Amino acid sequence: MINIAAALPSLPAAGAAGATSPSAAPAAGFGDALHRMLSAVDSTAASANDAVTNMLQGTGDVHTAMIALQQAETAMQLTVQIRNKFVQAYQDVMRMSI
Amino acid sequence: MSTLFSALNASASALEAQRARMEVATSNIANSDSTRGANGQPYRRRDVVLSTQPADSFAAALGKTDAVGVKVTGIVEDQTPFRTRYEPSHPDADGQGFVAMPNVDVPEEMVNMLGAARAYQANLNAIGLIRDTMQRALDLGK
Amino acid sequence: MNDITDNAIMTALGRQMTKAVAREAVSAGNLANIDTPGYHAREATFNDALDEELGQTAATVTEVAGLPARRDGNNVQLDRELLTLSRASSDFSAAQTALAAKFRLVRYAINEGR
Repeated sequence: MINIAAALPSLPAAGAAGATSPSAAPAAGFGDALHRMLSAVDSTAASANDAVTNMLQGTGDVHTAMIALQQAETAMQLTVQIRNKFVQAYQDVMRMSI
Repeated sequence: MSTLFSALNASASALEAQRARMEVATSNIANSDSTRGANGQPYRRRDVVLSTQPADSFAAALGKTDAVGVKVTGIVEDQTPFRTRYEPSHPDADGQGFVAMPNVDVPEEMVNMLGAARAYQANLNAIGLIRDTMQRALDLGK
Repeated sequence: MNDITDNAIMTALGRQMTKAVAREAVSAGNLANIDTPGYHAREATFNDALDEELGQTAATVTEVAGLPARRDGNNVQLDRELLTLSRASSDFSAAQTALAAKFRLVRYAINEGR
């Protein structure tokens, strides 16, 4: 099983850094949402693994495994894109000269 | 057993069974005039016995979508009486000049062969379609 | 996550594929047993309402009624099975194409047109 939350350790740290800013509530909210998203990605990856295992053992259908894999891939792409956007926004804010 | 794999196995088992039928029909036609076999008797027409594989009772198969294969369970000799032909000069002729001929009806064997060839072709077709379906399923991952 | 993957349509397409596979397998079994004495043609039927409720696709395999049996008690018709097979195969292809397009669409949106 792929532990995506563990693979992206910089994310909670970024959230913590955001918490020092005056608007603490939205940053925590985003971190929370991202965390939930990651666990959702994790569970789609897990069910994709299950489906592929079933296919290999001959108990599951090929298309079921493929659909599960596609769902996992899509969920992963979405999460990564959102992370990218967040990191970019964070960097933009940090570069801002006041 | 995954459904598509079981279908593939079933069709493959059918190819084997139909090939066995063709071989037996060929040997029947080839020996339609063999008046003396290994046991000194005329050749007896052979028949392929087919049964479902696994040999499930129908009740057990209910509700399962796995394809049922076929199996050659044996090749039996046809016990119908030999045909006789009047041919006094034949070395195997009896006192009255009659020769016992194999109980093979050549036209019937030809029909059997055609049927087996057609069924073979149909199962080959089925394998093609199942393979296409598998390929399409895998294409989802592209 | 449901809104993103458009779950209802995806599930329906997946179900159509599962159904097509079941029909294909049963037909292949019939075709394999076209010369097995006493074998009766079977078909896969589905209870859509129940499946919807349970969120799965369960097929019931029953004997086909009303097919004339031959001398050996077998009532498999070669053309009928081949037709069922090709129809199931097309159904599968259609669902697969739609599903692939659906995934492509979602991914296009996620990756901002790349």
